[in-house]
Amino acid sequence: MYYAFETQVTALTNVRQRRMLPVPGEVLVNVGERVDPTQVVARADLIGDFRVLPVARLLGVPASQVKRHLRAHPGDEVKQGQIVARRRGLAARSVKSPIDGVVKASGGGRLLIEGRPNTLELRAHVYGTVSNILEDYGVIIETMGAVIQGAWGAGGESSGVLKCLVKSPDKLLVDKIIDPSCHGMILVGGAGLDEAALERAQDLQVRGIVVGGLAPELVPHAETLPFPIVVTEGIGTVSMSAPIFRLLTTNEGREASISGRMQTRWGVVRPEIVFPLPGETLPPTHTQPGTPLTVGVQVRVVRAPHMGVVGTVVALPAHPRRIETGAKARGAEIDVGQEAPIFVPLPNLEILR
Amino acid sequence: MAEDQRIGSILLADCGTVMTKAVLLEQVDGQYRFVAQGEAPTTAEYPWSDVAAGISHAVEQISEVTGRHFFDAGGNLISPELAGGEGVDVFAATISAAQPLQVVLAGLVRDLSAASAERAAAGTYSLVKAILASDGQAEGPTDEAQVRTICDAAPDVICIAGGTEGGAVSPVLELVETATLACSLMDPEIRPRLLYMGNSRLRRSVVNIVGEQAMLKVAENVRPTLKRENLAGAQAELDALYMQDKMECLPGVDAVKSWSRAHITPTARAFSRLIEYLWHLGDSSKGVLGVDVGAANTTVAAVFGGRPYLTIRGDLGTVFGGEQLLQKHGAEAITRWLPEPLDSAEARALLINKEVRPASIEQQPRELWLEQALAREAIRMTMAVARPGWEPEEAQPYPGLMPLCDTIVVSGGVLSHAPRPGQAALIALDALEPIGVSTLVLDAYGLAPALGSVAAVKPLAAVEALDSGGLINLATVVTPVGHARHGDLILKVKVTYEDENGGTIDVEVRQGDLEVLPLLPGQQAVLELRPLRHFDVGLGGPGKAGQRRVSGGLVGLIIDARGRPLRLPRDPELRQRQMQKWLWDVGG
Repeated sequence: MYYAFETQVTALTNVRQRRMLPVPGEVLVNVGERVDPTQVVARADLIGDFRVLPVARLLGVPASQVKRHLRAHPGDEVKQGQIVARRRGLAARSVKSPIDGVVKASGGGRLLIEGRPNTLELRAHVYGTVSNILEDYGVIIETMGAVIQGAWGAGGESSGVLKCLVKSPDKLLVDKIIDPSCHGMILVGGAGLDEAALERAQDLQVRGIVVGGLAPELVPHAETLPFPIVVTEGIGTVSMSAPIFRLLTTNEGREASISGRMQTRWGVVRPEIVFPLPGETLPPTHTQPGTPLTVGVQVRVVRAPHMGVVGTVVALPAHPRRIETGAKARGAEIDVGQEAPIFVPLPNLEILR
Repeated sequence: MAEDQRIGSILLADCGTVMTKAVLLEQVDGQYRFVAQGEAPTTAEYPWSDVAAGISHAVEQISEVTGRHFFDAGGNLISPELAGGEGVDVFAATISAAQPLQVVLAGLVRDLSAASAERAAAGTYSLVKAILASDGQAEGPTDEAQVRTICDAAPDVICIAGGTEGGAVSPVLELVETATLACSLMDPEIRPRLLYMGNSRLRRSVVNIVGEQAMLKVAENVRPTLKRENLAGAQAELDALYMQDKMECLPGVDAVKSWSRAHITPTARAFSRLIEYLWHLGDSSKGVLGVDVGAANTTVAAVFGGRPYLTIRGDLGTVFGGEQLLQKHGAEAITRWLPEPLDSAEARALLINKEVRPASIEQQPRELWLEQALAREAIRMTMAVARPGWEPEEAQPYPGLMPLCDTIVVSGGVLSHAPRPGQAALIALDALEPIGVSTLVLDAYGLAPALGSVAAVKPLAAVEALDSGGLINLATVVTPVGHARHGDLILKVKVTYEDENGGTIDVEVRQGDLEVLPLLPGQQAVLELRPLRHFDVGLGGPGKAGQRRVSGGLVGLIIDARGRPLRLPRDPELRQRQMQKWLWDVGG
């Protein structure tokens, strides 16, 4: 039995969004509360401005004597210009705080003053209902809807109305077809896009882009975009998988939440697009997550020479076969709508669920 | 002894970042034999979020081959083995799937104390997020900049080294103060630990400075003198932190622990134990080297003069880290090892796609060459961190070149799954550049770390499993060292086969050659080496001739006369032709 990796391409499911702060903070919503994508559900203070004052040097005293010259101590609030240390006598000198803040620590003849912290606001990102509170860290939000997981992504999170700009999944998204009506939209392309299209999308302040592939030369540019980009198949020019393109086009005109955030290990985060469809009834699922690969399962090929091709497993030969590299690999025969099925090594398949 | 007799079967598992491997050893005719293996994707992530599931999946493949069941209906391992052959007597596991420790290193001089701290951190799975070292300059980074660097790195541990024994005081304490100030800014729940590994006379002052601001741990000075390094204490502390904070937090690890009588060991530590064990079996005047190239980590374990050295690069493997390497050092750092052209954009695309589909395998030759090229570079970069910390003494006749190694064990999917054994051998030769006479050994089933782990429970099983094919001889390698023009005759070799048919082969080796002579697995031969032009083949010095009895391997007997250090042609086309020729030479 082989347990393949899985990608969610689901028209209707119970979507669970885990929204977590990177550091402990305050959760601002309650279980059962309805939230919208822009609503702040939790916030935390991050280290902001701070200053390390070399008090010993500034006063001209040894570090061991600084303590007796301090006028402000750890925990004290100080104002900009306030004297925090003073040396009296013939060589009188004083040290003033350069910022408003709180004295955090002193040691080694130095004083640490922390200014106003940077507040991180965590937004809900999707429409839904808070189902769990993760104490001090965040929430889980649930909603009914469609989900598409991408292969690669960049940028943060956003939401907007979906607009498909190509007629088929093998077409490229070019700048000419990005017109002013795309302003504030999430754009769907096909097999990829070019530099001019990225620039045009940026000019028109789109909310996100979904494409099948992305040329490797454009990766650095994509990583600096002010909006998220989700690549569904991988880096290179790759046609978008048919089921993904179909699901995107059927949801055209709907509001979607898009995330380009990605972490490839130690708590994998995949880029994704979510379309909330509240009120829908959940259909019975065909395959449970984490089940082995079997005949009849819909799979996608994730490596060349058939990267992005979607088909159905028709056989799982017991013995390994030799592949082009000369290696022997166990694989599956996949019906991709051609005369004969293609043989693909098992590790190069993922289940579309 | 009574307990020994009950151990008839041993199940070993290694839970890697991407793949989990399982191997069954069984006592057959009184000897432990390798029976079957399985391999499945690691299941630390959704939808499983349970590393035990990946082990079960790998063991299922063993069940398919042997017809035996190892788990009960509730998913628990059956142990000891039942009369009907169900279950297993002993289970042992190694793990490298956990997130590495994130560390910030602070030292006085980058090439001295900070370098020692770096090697100490490299003794466990770690990622160095920043290095603070003023190098004795007054105009170093400001206090604020250093505090900011620590806060931005959000490390698990801040390692502070500096000051030889009885040496520097103030600059070391300033580093401690800076680290303490940084800790005071962080939320107490996520504050890093401080590990002090500097001048031991300052320990009391360090304790006073740190106070309640952070949890402090203290290890022996990693640089007690300018010339001596002492990493063991710091490595043990970091290893303990890795196990406690990272390995123990892996989802499902409790189930794995409940199956095992032995402690669950970090893969690299267990691998190092095996290398240490092999050193005791071989020529003690030379070293033993082990290289394990994983998906996310590259490990170099070595033993010289009985002293073990372990170095792990937690940021570079054959799946993760390739694209960052390409960005940092340029595509040519990797593509220079390719036998065909590949532009940097395509290389980048392939490396990113591999990272987002980590379990996928190379289906096209150009993808395979790239993976193997990355493995070469990962090994070379790990060696660059490891070697300055070695003290090989008599095993190091030529400073700057590799010390003499009796056995070199190569492990990791990129090597064990190489379509042809010659490819694995060439990766090792290109990356390690051994000298003299060495035996290249392949960990064909990926069980070397687990065998290191089982040696703690049942040493005999480890020995017998090694002998029964756990490790497979890849090749005996002879590498002459010296100076000659390309094409000059430098070595005469006579191979006398010891089997029934006997026979001899005489070969003249010229500078630049890469020769492979037939010597099949299981075959023995006497090798007579007569170096010319003062070349050294590791038989006692330049020009020294001699005989060695050698064993065969999957590739045979390799004479690597390409020169040390290995130089690649600068012209890309010439270089690719050269790489292609070398591949052909070794049957790759």
